[in-house]
Amino acid sequence: MEFILFYIFGFIAVVSALLIILQKNPIYSAVFLILTLFSVAILFLLLNAQFVAAVQVLVYAGAIMTLFLFAIMLLNIKYEEKAFSKLANLKITGIFVTFVLFIEFMYMIFLRKGLGIAGNISPEKVAEVGNVELIGKILFTKYLFPFEVASLVLLVAMVGVIVLAKKKF
Amino acid sequence: MDYSIPTINLSVIGPEIIILLTAVSVLIIGLFPNYRRWSISIVFIGIIFAFYDIYYLWNLNQVGFDGMVLADNFALLFDIIFLIGTLLTLLLSGNFINQYIRGTGEYLSLILFATLGMMLMASTNDLIVIFLGLETLSISLYILAAFRRSREDSLEAGLKYFLLGAFTTGFLLYGIALIYGSTGTTNIYSILNFLKDGSVEIGILFYIGMILIIVGFGFKAAFVPFHMWVPDVYEGSATPVTAFMSAGVKAASFAVFLRLFITGFSPIISQITGILAVLAILTMTVGNVIAIVQTNIKRMLAYSSIAHAGYILVALTALSRNIESEFSAASIMYYILVYTFMNIGAFGVVIYMEKSEEEVLKISDYAGLGFKKPFAAICMTLFMFSLAGIPPTAGFMGKLYIFSSAVESELYGLAVIGVLNAVIAVYYYLRVVIFMYMKEAVLDFSYLSARPVMALSLSISVGGIIYLGIFPQSLINLLTNIL
Amino acid sequence: MTYLWLIPVFTLIGVVLNGLLGKKFGDKFVSWVGPGAVGLSFLISCIFLFKLVFDSPTGDSYIQKLFVWIAAGNLVVEAGLILDHLSVVMIMVVTGVGFVIHVYSVGYMHKDPGYARYFTYLNLFIFSMLILVMADSFLLMFVGWEGVGLCSYLLIGFWYEDKKNADAGKKAFIVNRIGDFGFLIGLFFIFIEFASLDFESVFSMASSRQIGDPVIVAITLLLFIGAVGKSAQIPLYVWLPDAMQGPTPVSALIHAATMVTAGVYMIVRCHVLYLLAPLTMSIVAVVGVVTAVYSASIGTVQNDIKRVLAYSTISQIGYMFLAVGVGAFTAGMFHLMTHAFFKGLLFLGAGSVIHSLSGEMDMRFMGGLKKYIPITFWTFLIAVLAITGIPGFSGFFSKDEILWNAFDKGNPILWVIGVFTAGLTAFYMFRLFYLTFLGESRFQSEKELHIHESPKIMTIPLIILGFFSLFGGYIGVSHSLGGENHFKKFMEPVFRNSEIIANSTSNAENSLGLEYLLMIISIIIVLIVLIIVHQIYLKRPDIASTLAKRFSLAYRVLLNKYYIDEIYHTFIVNPFIKISDIFWKIFDVKIVDGAVNGTANVIQSAGDKLRKVQTGYVQEYALSLILGAVIIIGYFIFR
Repeated sequence: MEFILFYIFGFIAVVSALLIILQKNPIYSAVFLILTLFSVAILFLLLNAQFVAAVQVLVYAGAIMTLFLFAIMLLNIKYEEKAFSKLANLKITGIFVTFVLFIEFMYMIFLRKGLGIAGNISPEKVAEVGNVELIGKILFTKYLFPFEVASLVLLVAMVGVIVLAKKKF
Repeated sequence: MDYSIPTINLSVIGPEIIILLTAVSVLIIGLFPNYRRWSISIVFIGIIFAFYDIYYLWNLNQVGFDGMVLADNFALLFDIIFLIGTLLTLLLSGNFINQYIRGTGEYLSLILFATLGMMLMASTNDLIVIFLGLETLSISLYILAAFRRSREDSLEAGLKYFLLGAFTTGFLLYGIALIYGSTGTTNIYSILNFLKDGSVEIGILFYIGMILIIVGFGFKAAFVPFHMWVPDVYEGSATPVTAFMSAGVKAASFAVFLRLFITGFSPIISQITGILAVLAILTMTVGNVIAIVQTNIKRMLAYSSIAHAGYILVALTALSRNIESEFSAASIMYYILVYTFMNIGAFGVVIYMEKSEEEVLKISDYAGLGFKKPFAAICMTLFMFSLAGIPPTAGFMGKLYIFSSAVESELYGLAVIGVLNAVIAVYYYLRVVIFMYMKEAVLDFSYLSARPVMALSLSISVGGIIYLGIFPQSLINLLTNIL
Repeated sequence: MTYLWLIPVFTLIGVVLNGLLGKKFGDKFVSWVGPGAVGLSFLISCIFLFKLVFDSPTGDSYIQKLFVWIAAGNLVVEAGLILDHLSVVMIMVVTGVGFVIHVYSVGYMHKDPGYARYFTYLNLFIFSMLILVMADSFLLMFVGWEGVGLCSYLLIGFWYEDKKNADAGKKAFIVNRIGDFGFLIGLFFIFIEFASLDFESVFSMASSRQIGDPVIVAITLLLFIGAVGKSAQIPLYVWLPDAMQGPTPVSALIHAATMVTAGVYMIVRCHVLYLLAPLTMSIVAVVGVVTAVYSASIGTVQNDIKRVLAYSTISQIGYMFLAVGVGAFTAGMFHLMTHAFFKGLLFLGAGSVIHSLSGEMDMRFMGGLKKYIPITFWTFLIAVLAITGIPGFSGFFSKDEILWNAFDKGNPILWVIGVFTAGLTAFYMFRLFYLTFLGESRFQSEKELHIHESPKIMTIPLIILGFFSLFGGYIGVSHSLGGENHFKKFMEPVFRNSEIIANSTSNAENSLGLEYLLMIISIIIVLIVLIIVHQIYLKRPDIASTLAKRFSLAYRVLLNKYYIDEIYHTFIVNPFIKISDIFWKIFDVKIVDGAVNGTANVIQSAGDKLRKVQTGYVQEYALSLILGAVIIIGYFIFR
């Protein structure tokens, strides 16, 4: 059952990701991005990472995508055909190179062994302690330092936005 | 399973905290127009305190946050290099600050945040913190590159850097994820233990993860073919920012490379010697050859900085071949320090020469500078000689160390190609000197006035390359014992 | 001997004083400091020379370690100075001739706007040259090696206002860098092989090697590439004739007397290595003799007085290489010394001529200067007789020793070419002399009014050098001529350890009588040439142009210096520029908008281009990034 769901949503995620870049209308692209993010959220669910799945939906599909759509509508971006027509050759090369990269990753995953080792947090453990608690505990103990540094990244980003957006110095 | 709060040992991250506090207080003080003029002094005081704290922590080898943060001499040494770069840049930024910023704290605090990111990268033992440090650094730099919002080339530089940076971040993160997937840890020492243990087969995933990390940092350090952004971004950014970027980002990336190669990946690192060698050859050659045809001095220095990444990569290749070699590691650190001095110095003269509105950036604009402004010209000559690797400057010693380390690791071909590249490079560095001393002046240099603070920065850089060129020994001793 | 460092340090003080204060305190200050610094160095060198002669009968060398320079990994290099019977000769030549030329420069460069700058460079040159000859390790020697190259380049382009001068400086530097590349690679090989760059330890380790050890051959060849560049031998000689664009005293000091002989000094210093590599030795000898005859032949038709002297310098250095190539190191050093005297004198004399004619350098517009500038005339005559090898003058003894050694230790063919070159040398030198000082005056009459003998400060150096050109040879009169050959005795300690090898190639059966015969042959040839030149240029000046017409092809080829500059340009310089251009186009131009004009061009042009910058190019950058990653990963998976 899990496997079937995994393949279904994995397929949706990949196809909609492709559609993002193949669509000419930016609003459609944005909508497909939402779809991708949703399917990835479901993949997280399948991995017993309910909290991450919820955050994925809330933050990305909710907040960030709304922002994207606002930006698109405010700037009134229409079609970008013109820009792309000049890069037709580039497109073909790009597709080819990406395809090679894809083959390489496939080869790496399917034909070679040595796929990592299992971590010490099993699904039973997650069920026992609870997903949010587990993440919370790890975040505030073992990963306390990165957690604090992450706030620093946000601070820098905020300063940056202000610098770029404010009217005059 | 039981989780306890790790021992929080704040003194380990003392220098980082000092820089953070300085950055934040500069931001706050910018809100009060009456006190704005103090902000630059606060920055310098902060940097001095940070230096003092590094001095205090030296040799103590403190560890904090469950081994996630290290204050070993390696980290502290790189902290010193970053802070020197920051200090020199800030001394050079006076004109830029007056012109564009008018006292608000964003520019200063972003520079400090970027420094903080670098310091985090050097002083951690965990891939996640390295990643976060890199993001702090990168975001600050994206903004700094686009700082002159009124100019299209500046905005373009910022946007290009951002798009490509975000793109490579994907590679880097995927690499870290693959390594986590195959080892179950992001801690570099645990990775080392995993590799040494040998009970679990080291899979292809791990190798690919390693390569993706190299690609990610190779982008930041400007290895060919990940170098494309460099000329555009260097040219579009304000010159003090370019100076800061060219030295700091490279130093931070190589700090991470060293940390990963010497500890985490050391048992298997010799397997990528071939790849590194090819990258080194490409990086040196492409950088140098394209630099020859440049007419804009910032673009020329941009390509030259690519070539210098190539030289350092030669030593890194030597290190990967012979991971026990303290000499190779020391030569990398020595070169990075020297590079910080000479490159920021060279950009310093470019900053000095810039006119406020139409910038004086063509190499031919430097004609006749030698007799109109002898001090600036002598400084520039020395920086060019050092970049070209002509004795007795430190650039020569640095190249000597690097190529010797290649020879020590029996990479003769690489050493020969490196020397050949150094010979090619002389051509375009020398051209600047020729213009300064052997051409009639085309510009009237009367707009150039004496700038004591800038002169101080240039003097420090000149002093650095001359002193390190003639007496490199004490520093090399220190560096070989650091690991 | 602990004060060895005093020798170079005075010149360094001179650099600092002239460089920083020269402009402020005026020309008088510079005139005292510049020559004074070198003079003090010279005095101290004299003291050390006497100490060496009297205190050290065994001929030990003194090495003073200054500080540990590099000690990392296997590489340990101490910065140290060496004083032995070899380096002291060079020190004496450098400081002695250097001092005389400094004094001369006070007169020659009088009222030049770059007076202080000139003496700063010149002092810096002496300092670098002293470092080169006093270095006790390959690395420190390389530092001096680069330093003299730099000064030479700065001084060639001294009058930078003329683009030709700046180009000449650039050419000199780049050609030298090619040589330095070889030298540097040689250093790496030495380091790999011996794990040291110190002369003492490298030579002591090397002396246990087999003769013909391929590594040693490679090392010596690489070092020789450096020597070829610095000493202007085939094929890297092209920079030296152009180097004559610099002030004449500079040509005298750097491009005749001292720097260009550094290659010879280096080979003599490394004789332990070279003796182990017979192949290299024969290459050195052949390159030397070919250069000698080749550039002498070019010298016969040049019209610029300094160019003739330049080709003559190349040719004479060829002689020195011939000497060291056949293993006659002492003869090479001896010729180096006498050459420093008479070639320095020739250049200074030429400078005096040019000075008196207000800058005229073309010999076709000279002539009959004998009566105007008598001191220059007489000293110049001494130098000409010395260089052509008229018996009794210094050049005779040294050149004769080289030719004899070429015959004795080398090959009769080398001797034949050497003697032929001597004939050519006599031809171009007498031609120069006749055209300049004798015969009809051919300069425009207005110039005649200004012709004057140079001031004392310039003529006294001429007289001093004239004295040495005349008598300098007598310290090395060979046994066959009834002398003691003090010079050879003096140098003996240097070659003590390699005597056996050095002498093994000597053919014992060659008798004294043969030596006399060869000597007489070469003297006769020179005298015949003298008569020919006398006939052509004094009695019947029309012969020269008739000859030039009859052999017009040969004349043109010679006049154009065998078209070597053009060949280099077509086959090396242009393709390189093209290749880098192509590189650039492939990698960047397409992507980074015709980068000649930079991104600025794009921004200046129409608005729709903006979009192109923002959307088009970043994707290509990203593509190159992915491509790199794909290739690396692919390599890793499928390796």
